[in-house]
Amino acid sequence: MDLKKFRSKSPWLLHYNTGSCNGCDIEILACLAPKYDLERFGILNRGNPKQSDVLIVTGPVTKRARERLIRLYLEMPEPKVVVAVGACACTGGVFRHMYNVLNGVDKVIPVDVYVPGCAARPEAIIDGVVKALEILERKRKDFVPPKVCKNLEVKEPVNRKFFLEKCLGVKNGS
Amino acid sequence: MGNRITIPFGSQHVALPEPIKFVFQTENERITSVEVDVGYVHRGIEKACQTKFKYTQVGYVVARVCGLCSISHTLAYVTAVERLMEVEVPKRALYLRLIVSELDRVHSHLLAMGHTAEVAGYENLFMQTFRYRETVMELLELLTGNRVQYDYACIGGVNRDVTPEVAKTLKERLKELKEKCLWIKDVFENDLTLKYRWKGVGVVTKEMAKEFNVVGPPARAAGLETDCRAEFNYLPFDEVGYKMVVRKGGDIYDRNLVRAYEVLNSIEMVENALDSLPQGEIKVPVKGLPDGESFVRVEAPRGELFYYVKGSKKLVLDRVRIRVPTFANIPVMKELFIGMDYSDVPATVISFDPCLSCTAR
Ligand code: SF4
Repeated sequence: MDLKKFRSKSPWLLHYNTGSCNGCDIEILACLAPKYDLERFGILNRGNPKQSDVLIVTGPVTKRARERLIRLYLEMPEPKVVVAVGACACTGGVFRHMYNVLNGVDKVIPVDVYVPGCAARPEAIIDGVVKALEILERKRKDFVPPKVCKNLEVKEPVNRKFFLEKCLGVKNGS
Repeated sequence: MGNRITIPFGSQHVALPEPIKFVFQTENERITSVEVDVGYVHRGIEKACQTKFKYTQVGYVVARVCGLCSISHTLAYVTAVERLMEVEVPKRALYLRLIVSELDRVHSHLLAMGHTAEVAGYENLFMQTFRYRETVMELLELLTGNRVQYDYACIGGVNRDVTPEVAKTLKERLKELKEKCLWIKDVFENDLTLKYRWKGVGVVTKEMAKEFNVVGPPARAAGLETDCRAEFNYLPFDEVGYKMVVRKGGDIYDRNLVRAYEVLNSIEMVENALDSLPQGEIKVPVKGLPDGESFVRVEAPRGELFYYVKGSKKLVLDRVRIRVPTFANIPVMKELFIGMDYSDVPATVISFDPCLSCTAR
């Protein structure tokens, strides 16, 4: 079986708090606990961006969290979906236009699913994640993999520009 | 001279739900120095309370400082403004506030205990604790209409009354909850593995607690008798059977036991309050503008919460100052880390139950 199958059957979550009040975070924790049990969909909460398919963001993006959020987003492999949980993550909520806040998550990275509510209820979060999985599936179908470099046999050290030119088969600048 | 290693921990980490950054310098697994950075979630709430929001709205804004103890923040602010404006709050409203704030304590303590269990490797106990915590959440939803942000207290009273049917259901479910909490207390007190793991780890002595001004369950676990519920008169705690829980050990084990006993005491208090709920209004109209200054100390689940409010006959307040319990506990944490094994760090941090949203605001 290939990796694709696992990715659709057992998506992994990455949860990042960009400045929320913890209200939405504990609701996500509650989702993973026995009563709501998000794990029954095969969803696991893991902290590693390199293994995750779904990024869950809570809270308005503070100025210091912005850089980390972008990095986490870029480190996740394609295809990926982003779920904004809570009023804060959607629009900034009550923290909108405070001096250290950049309002919603979509000011920084593209968002696929918005889960409203303050705090978002666990049922709503589960609905949001399930919706995100559909989007993930769709994204995977029309996903164009990035151009893979041809293998080059390098005998002597070459400079990077020259190397890229050769392996992508284009003249630089054209 | 051993192996010197620098271990960064955070700001995004598998074990941490909140962004906090530690940089540990270790030497042969022993920590020699530590740096803490807590400012990732700073939003500027104090400033916004002084510029953007009217004094009647601030109660709902400060609830968003922290989702775990939102009622404590609202309660503190509301009490401070009521003292400024000399509002006589009806007895029934005070009782209802007490009920919600104690239920909030129950859920927060259960969360903290479950989290400590998880860090010690007890996944099952964590799940059980969370399962029982859901009961409290349901009760709170029944009572206030929301699971996390209650927005229950307002200036002059409370926003929502409790009907006899709800009170009846509450009492029934509380009985159920009490048994479960007794079971949890039993496990935390008598389980041999947990004892071995937690006894004598991260000890805060009484002198240390006094010197660093520790608050909340860590202080009470170290034998320091400090509790705002007994010291500052903001709700009628002595009428409903409040007992202070003090233990001597000061280690992780005792901190958890303080929480376990407090949970039982809180449930008892809620039961008593429901039995002797006075009749009458739940809210009085408030006229005029706040003038002068006042401060309030409230016992949040994590310890003493301090609010200072200053107004000068304007719709917008001059100053709102918040001092949160975690802020008071950080110095002693830093002191504890030095000389400790690195493997004990997560359990110790979690047993203090830090809340960074509160600290950074
Ligand atoms: S939406 Fe509400 S509960 Fe969630 S992080 Fe924002 S203020 Fe907190």
